[in-house]
Amino acid sequence: MNFSEISILLVDDDEMIRNCICAYLEDEGFLVHQASSGEEALDSIVAMKPTVCISDMRLAGMNGETFIRRAYLLCPETSYMLHTGLDYPLSDELRAIGMTPADVLLKPLHELSTLTRRIIAVVASAGSRTR
Amino acid sequence: MPHRYAAEQIEQHKKALVDILDTLPSIIVRVGRGGCVDLVNRRFEQFSGVSAGNAMGMRVVALIPQFADQLGKVDLVIDSQAPMEFDKLLCRKGSRLSYYSLEIYPLKSEGAAMAVIRIDDITEHVRIEEIMAHTEKMITVGGLAAGMAHEINNPLGAIMQNAQNIERRVSSDIPANLKAAGEVGVSLELVRAYLEKRGIFEFISHIRTAGVRASNIINNMLHFSRRSEPQVEAVDLSDMLDRTLELVASDYDMKKLYDFRNITLVREYAPGMPPVSMVVQEMEQVFMNILKNAAQALSGSGKEEPSRITLRTCLDHGMAMIEIDDNGPGIDDAIRLRIFEPFFSTKEVGVGTGLGLSVAYAIVTKGHHGTLKVRSKPGQGTCFTIELPVL
Repeated sequence: MNFSEISILLVDDDEMIRNCICAYLEDEGFLVHQASSGEEALDSIVAMKPTVCISDMRLAGMNGETFIRRAYLLCPETSYMLHTGLDYPLSDELRAIGMTPADVLLKPLHELSTLTRRIIAVVASAGSRTR
Repeated sequence: MPHRYAAEQIEQHKKALVDILDTLPSIIVRVGRGGCVDLVNRRFEQFSGVSAGNAMGMRVVALIPQFADQLGKVDLVIDSQAPMEFDKLLCRKGSRLSYYSLEIYPLKSEGAAMAVIRIDDITEHVRIEEIMAHTEKMITVGGLAAGMAHEINNPLGAIMQNAQNIERRVSSDIPANLKAAGEVGVSLELVRAYLEKRGIFEFISHIRTAGVRASNIINNMLHFSRRSEPQVEAVDLSDMLDRTLELVASDYDMKKLYDFRNITLVREYAPGMPPVSMVVQEMEQVFMNILKNAAQALSGSGKEEPSRITLRTCLDHGMAMIEIDDNGPGIDDAIRLRIFEPFFSTKEVGVGTGLGLSVAYAIVTKGHHGTLKVRSKPGQGTCFTIELPVL
């Protein structure tokens, strides 16, 4: 799998978190974009068409759930993940767009390699669906 | 005839009155000025251990000295004609602690110069209040933890994850590192050798471990907060016990007062145990309370033998059995029989509330349809056994 062909959009209103996860993902070789709110991410997602979009749950404007539901309408081919502080039961709407409990990542991640593993799994299963 | 009839009537009324007084659950005593007894009911006799005949004419303070402070107000009540009430008076009878309320009423009949004292045992009432206060406290801790988790997860994440980024950015496995090193004219090899020599890799690894530890504490505390409605979950006992041990190990009292780190923990978990359905935070509280008691007993035991707590699980007649076995000083029968009694505590005031094990008992038996038992041999240790239905 060539990581440089995998683009990731990271949505989090905490700059510190965005920077540190971006640094990690870039070191892994992924192509990474950032947005600090759901609104900002919706503006650029169509042009960007990321392979994977990872969003924080608690955001300043619309929350992560609302953002993902709207983003899916614009970009259904993207795989979505939630990065959240509290154990978050996956809603029926998010299940309906193909998210599973494994796509909910609990903050703080002790090991960032968890992220890489999940991205690879998601990309692999999306690839097998389109084929 | 009318005289005899009248006498009978009086006798009947008197008997009815005595019946009423003796039926009431309150301790009742009528006193004159100076607190001289002139009437008592049966509860009073039982409580003071003095018969009505012997009590007559004695000062009430001498009969029930536990309430001396309050009984000293009798004359004041008679003179002012204003009743006085005292609530939650703590009395210790042997090792049993009870709460009482005491009321002094001035007698209304003309020129009586007397007062009636009513004393009630309100231990049960206070106990329920205390349990509710205790629960309140847990909810507060839980709420605090949930709020704190939100605020602290990101900084903790940044600490752990940036430490990981630092480790990676000096690694020769990532091409960008070699490129950047080349651009500034240093050898990554030498940079790594320097960091190694000065113990910097170790510092970074400690930052990561400390972050993980802090994050586990928050995570464990969160269990106290998830109580919108008691959520019954199917739980793997071994995982659950390990998590509780972590929680106990991070408890301040356990570390500072009871030296929990120096207690050897032996885990004898039976393999292949079926999941048990439970309200996790409640059962965590149960195990925490028992482990705290064990640690307290071990810390004060003064035994030569190293302190040890063994946790065992097994399947017994279709029930999951968990044993928490310590090699502390043990407890004698008198204590063992009352150990789950609310407010029963062998600890000094302020050290134990006497609630921990009674709450544990209530959670296991009423909340989870299980059993909680204790066996002990003085000098050899104490073993608590919990049985819970499996799925």
